Amino acid sequence: MKLVVVLPMLAVLLGLRFVKPRMIVWLAAWWAAIFVTLRFGFATPIPVSVVKLYMGIVTLALTAYILADRERMRQVREPLTAFLVEQRYQPALMAVAVLIPVLAAVQVWAGMTAEAQPPSFARTVHPAPPDSITVHGTDYPLGTQDNPYRSLEGTNPAEFEERLQDGRRVYYENCFYCHGDLMAGQGLYASGLNPIPTNFQDPGTIAMLREAFLFWRISKGAPGLPEEGGPWQSAMPAWEKFLSDEEMWNVILFLYDFTDSRPRAVEAHS
Amino acid sequence: MTAARKAGRLALLGLVAVSLATAPAAGQDGAAVYGKYCSQCHGDNGDGQGVAAPYLKPWPRDFTAGKYKIRSTPTGGLPTDADLHMVIREGLPYTAMPAFPNLSDAELDAVVQVIQGFSPDFEDPEAQIPPIAIPDPPQWTEERAERGLQVYGETGCGRCHGDVGRGDGMSAPTLTDDWGQPIRVADLTMPWTFRGGGTRRDIFRTMSTGFNGTPMPGFHGALPEEDIWAIVDYIASLSGNTVDEPYQNLVRSVPRAGGLELEKADELFAEAPKAMFRVVGQVVQPGRHFQPSIYAIGLQAVHNRRDIAFRVSWHDMRAETTGVSGPDLEAPSWGDVLTALGVGRGPGGGSGDEGDGGDIWGGAAEESSDPWGDAVADDGGSGDDVWGDAVADDAGGGDDVWGDAVADEGSDDIWGQAETSAPEGPTGPRAEFADAVALQFPLQNPSGVRLPYFLLGDSENGVQLWFADLAAGQPRLYSANGSDKVVPGDAEPPEMIASYDQGEWSVVFKSPRRVPGSGLEFADDAFVPLALTVWDGFMRDRGNRRGLTPWYYVHVEPIDRPSPVGPMVKAGVGVLAIELLLIGLVRFAARRKRNAAESA
Ligand code: HEC
Ligand code: HEC
Ligand code: HEC
Repeated sequence: MKLVVVLPMLAVLLGLRFVKPRMIVWLAAWWAAIFVTLRFGFATPIPVSVVKLYMGIVTLALTAYILADRERMRQVREPLTAFLVEQRYQPALMAVAVLIPVLAAVQVWAGMTAEAQPPSFARTVHPAPPDSITVHGTDYPLGTQDNPYRSLEGTNPAEFEERLQDGRRVYYENCFYCHGDLMAGQGLYASGLNPIPTNFQDPGTIAMLREAFLFWRISKGAPGLPEEGGPWQSAMPAWEKFLSDEEMWNVILFLYDFTDSRPRAVEAHS
Repeated sequence: MTAARKAGRLALLGLVAVSLATAPAAGQDGAAVYGKYCSQCHGDNGDGQGVAAPYLKPWPRDFTAGKYKIRSTPTGGLPTDADLHMVIREGLPYTAMPAFPNLSDAELDAVVQVIQGFSPDFEDPEAQIPPIAIPDPPQWTEERAERGLQVYGETGCGRCHGDVGRGDGMSAPTLTDDWGQPIRVADLTMPWTFRGGGTRRDIFRTMSTGFNGTPMPGFHGALPEEDIWAIVDYIASLSGNTVDEPYQNLVRSVPRAGGLELEKADELFAEAPKAMFRVVGQVVQPGRHFQPSIYAIGLQAVHNRRDIAFRVSWHDMRAETTGVSGPDLEAPSWGDVLTALGVGRGPGGGSGDEGDGGDIWGGAAEESSDPWGDAVADDGGSGDDVWGDAVADDAGGGDDVWGDAVADEGSDDIWGQAETSAPEGPTGPRAEFADAVALQFPLQNPSGVRLPYFLLGDSENGVQLWFADLAAGQPRLYSANGSDKVVPGDAEPPEMIASYDQGEWSVVFKSPRRVPGSGLEFADDAFVPLALTVWDGFMRDRGNRRGLTPWYYVHVEPIDRPSPVGPMVKAGVGVLAIELLLIGLVRFAARRKRNAAESA
């Protein structure tokens, strides 16, 4: 969310409650405020086609709101009819009548001459993991598997610290080229990859995942993803080729430690 | 009114909350910051021997040496606090040294003190040389850039950076830094890769102060200021005055009337826009390659009704046109690489003589057959002092900052290396592995969004490689279903022609648009996935040790493009008609109502 955009829009809508403008102004203001928020209010922009879809729904909703009440309908109809009928609005009406077809023609022209965009694939970032995986001959039931070394945090802090240090080594030997020093996804290679490497500082990534999920992603990499994850395009390597199971569990400990986050707990299982 | 105030207060609260959440915890001391963010590379003792060090080229800086590249002080000087702040905030692009925008000013101050503490030089008042003034850049002008080209030639920049700045100077393959590591000269056409930043002000500073610990000299006092600006403007012109990364995800193939004659490549591609793609190391399969020497690769495409032609171009320090190449050659195993790196000992341990040392940069220098190794080894005092001359001439007596500073630093080895005689011939001595490049396409046009795995395909979805063996000057065709299943293709390979000129390889492929022996077609208006791979023989790249790109696309622009005028008119007239109808209806209804009211 971009607060510079969202807050003024909120302010405008709040302001409307007190100014009590005419119905038609109110309608236009709501429509525009929602449009601006959808189109410009998000840090990662919503695709234009989706914005169009949402605005269609918004238009329908606003129309329904107006139609639901005779008085509101009258308040909207009257100024509109006046604009279309009355002599004093004639020049403005003519201008609008010309402008709209011109805009329509420009739209067609823009559509036909626009730079072609390559096909895009909306990958599922966190698809459902398989029930179990086998890594270096060991079976891991992902639903119930926990990080085998997580409990050391309480029982043996010294060993836990050693494992963190080993995880740090693993990370800076292998991962930072892509995921970056600060784990914010801005490694040396980031501008050459698509999809871009995951930003672990983002609370929407590792902080809402279980450690077993990470173990799956790290050991099996992109090729281990189901179809909806786009296994063919991500550069995330299958680390079982280079790292031991222990090293992978250790690097997971380090990911959480460095980003000051906690893994999602394994649901209580019977 | 009150509502507006309420909203305002809300907004303020929101902003405060956000800035509190993002501000790093205050009160951390320098050691803690250094321990969390720096020691993994620069080492606990600042000696550059952190755990990550063996894999990195250039090595993380050894702070105990007190040698810094990016400074506002003359050659040999120490960086000011402000210089260090800037370097840590911005990082050194295209090296492992990251930018740290997350550190607060207080944390920066603290960590700067820590790294200064590693070297006694910062205590020594004699070592404190005042910074030189960096003036505001004058407006860029064409004339100055033209004069810059001349000064660039006269000053001898080309000996290292190449005649047109592509990093292919005669001395380039022989250069090492003060730690004995081979060092790449900068490719002056890519300012976004400059360690010290690519703006004209940055380049002025770099040229004035030089990079301590590297062969890159400083010219403050040796060249008049206006000459430095002239070269700066020339360098800026090499990238079209931009410092932004120009990378794209699509190349447009443009239609061309007539035949596609490979021999006339320049004419053929004159109107084809060049897309630049970033090259990254292959780190997914064994044979991992962390810092490929080629940063970026350019691609152009043209087609007529029958054929399509691609031109791949990239900058390479030297053409390796002997030896073998191929996507199916065995690359060094991960174990070999680790042994060659002497992992666990770090840079200070030196890269000894273990194993197939040639497989990674550092190692390459030790192989006696390797040009870098040779050049560096037998350079001992072979120097007719080209450099000394150039500097002396230009300095014209004056206070020779240069001479002094160099002497103080005791880094005359900088010059020693620069003076080595150039390698034999334009393409250098016999290389074991040749340069090569390949275009990767799917075996057939994908039916949906599903593509083959970007790295040589997978068992169900194969890829084809249009491979250019630049030693033999021959094209080859491969098909692959994964890294371990790369086999020569049976169909006729595409036509190919290659040339190397002033540091740039240019390789042109041509194939019928319906590619023989595969289900791939470059149909009108189609988006065809493609990926690129490049091998630098100098770096002993072969097989899976290579630089590569993920999937991008080529768009085959239709030869017959429908004119937009018809549909535009249709849309305009249609909308107008609807409008008129609407207005008419409303007016009609209004008049009826009025008449009714009047007659009543
Ligand atoms: C060559 C670049 C590259 C390297 C090296 C790399 N990654 Fe990744 N990684 C990616 C990319 C790209 C993604 C995002 C796409 C995906 O999910 O596959 C990713 C995703 C991940 C995810 C999934 C996060 C999520 O939110 O689902 C984890 C966990 C991960 N990487 C861990 C690691 C670890 C640990 C290492 C080092 C041992 C590593 N990566 C090295 C490129 C890389
Ligand atoms: C992932 C590895 C890595 C990390 C982490 C890292 N550096 Fe560096 N640093 C490097 C490398 C590599 C170089 C050398 C780059 C070169 O010589 O072109 C370097 C160079 C430097 C330099 C010298 C710049 C110059 O002008 O010569 C400074 C200062 C520096 N680092 C400070 C820091 C500080 C402070 C931190 C922590 C906040 C840090 N580095 C973290 C890898 C790292
Ligand atoms: C003796 C060889 C040599 C000569 C002569 C030389 N350079 Fe360099 N130059 C280098 C090397 C090596 C580097 C790369 C330093 C690094 O990456 O740390 C470099 C880097 C640069 C950079 C990029 C700095 C950055 O921020 O990464 C510029 C710009 C540059 N040189 C300009 C020049 C100009 C202009 C001249 C002539 C006036 C010149 N150089 C002469 C060896 C040389």
